[in-house]
Amino acid sequence: MRKIATLLLSAGLVASATTAIASSPKEDLEKFRAYFEQKFPGLQLDDFGNGAYALDADKRMQWEAMEEFPPYDEFVDKGREIWEKPFKNGKSFADCFGKDPSKVRVRYPHWDAKTKQVVTLEGDINKCLKENGEKPFKWKKGPIAWLSAFFGYEARGQKINVVIPDDPDAIKAYEHGKHFFYAKRGQLNMACADCHVKYPGHFIRGNLLSPALGQVTHFPVYRAKWAKKSKDGDGLGTLHRRYGGCNKQVRARPFKAQSKVYRDLEFFHQYMSNGLTINAPGYRE
Amino acid sequence: MRRSNHRFSGTVGSLLLVAGMVITGQAAAAEDPISAGKKLAFDRKKGNCLACHHIEGGTLMGNIAPPLVAMKHRFPDKAKLREQIWDATKNNPRSIMPPFGKHRILSEKEIDLVTEFIYSL
Amino acid sequence: MMKKTIISVGLALLIAGCSASQPEKPMSLKEQYEAALARTQAAVEKAASMEGEWRDIRWKKSKKRYLPKAIEAAKAGDYEKALKLLSIAEFQAEMGYKQAMAEKNAGPHLYGL
Repeated sequence: MRKIATLLLSAGLVASATTAIASSPKEDLEKFRAYFEQKFPGLQLDDFGNGAYALDADKRMQWEAMEEFPPYDEFVDKGREIWEKPFKNGKSFADCFGKDPSKVRVRYPHWDAKTKQVVTLEGDINKCLKENGEKPFKWKKGPIAWLSAFFGYEARGQKINVVIPDDPDAIKAYEHGKHFFYAKRGQLNMACADCHVKYPGHFIRGNLLSPALGQVTHFPVYRAKWAKKSKDGDGLGTLHRRYGGCNKQVRARPFKAQSKVYRDLEFFHQYMSNGLTINAPGYRE
Repeated sequence: MRRSNHRFSGTVGSLLLVAGMVITGQAAAAEDPISAGKKLAFDRKKGNCLACHHIEGGTLMGNIAPPLVAMKHRFPDKAKLREQIWDATKNNPRSIMPPFGKHRILSEKEIDLVTEFIYSL
Repeated sequence: MMKKTIISVGLALLIAGCSASQPEKPMSLKEQYEAALARTQAAVEKAASMEGEWRDIRWKKSKKRYLPKAIEAAKAGDYEKALKLLSIAEFQAEMGYKQAMAEKNAGPHLYGL
């Protein structure tokens, strides 16, 4: 009897080891969400969009006070100005993204079957500028983050809805991002998943680690840490700016914002938060 | 010939020994291994143990990993404790603890000192 | 017979090994540096090809930048310093590559999901 059980068990182990690699995005998403819901049984799905603040009452109170007069408002307004200002050729961002700015954020990131790559919102902002003879923005902060934050703000209340098409190249990009997320890297030997899957809700020094589920809903993010570093209190930064910061902290060489690696990571990372409500931009420490 | 040589090396040897004692004696006067180890353990750019562990006397401590107390009880063999600091992934490949020796985050000497400090807790 | 052959082959290898490891002329510091630089650069590219490069080898915003600083030291004629820095860079590159290889099959199954 025991022998049979052992046999079954080892067969199961082998099976799970192989299926873990061959699982579909949909299966990954179900397991991912179930894991976090089990880990934090008191939370509703959308609570995860509030990150660490959903997990700690004291921090949540301070945060809610900040969100009453949010320091990112003036930068969202700057984003709106950029949206409204025509290019030198008379056209504007509306010619690239459509007239309704509230319908932009939910289309990203997406797979582009023609170029066989992941297209991000920031990528298309600069593409639009270039196609209209304008100088592209810098990738991580400033105007690109303002405009992206404006699109996020306009899309508040809508749900993340990333589509991974049944195209081997799209699956490959998704798998690449997924692998990046779970692989240990850098001199400190840490994976994204070490902090944000295994230990969310724990403190690392004075910082409460956020769950990976729901991280993308509030990006671009306004970080007090970034505001302090800037001259004019602009703490807004893009998702890829944050990726770079995380990689640097584990002493891995960060990749460039909008590199293939980070676009693929974003594809996986955003997909894992499908169904969560967009609440960008968010305020974070 | 042989004898004088022997005597010579003996003199050099004891001279070196004396010099060694003087040097270590001075270092010990400046700082004992436990407090030197504590400095490294608390330094954010060195051990940064407080990022994850509770240690008496620390501030802004993390709670990812077990508090560092009763270490002699948990690691009766100091060498085992040193191994854990040197490469925690040997026991658990997915451990979040950085492999301080394997990845040369700390030098061997620094690991000795940190071990002394942690062992004293 | 068999044993004898093995022993003599072993001896031959040993002798060959010894003579190979004894260069006719000792390498100058500059030559050592040039060899170490080539080795390190290859190791860094290998780590980078696996997305396994560490922060402090050559990234422009790192304060340490062991590899470019080694090159600077060599340009200033300080080959000893250059070699020291290169040995750190080479170690980090090799470890980054090893780490990436060890993580080749990383995925959610390792995290209980």
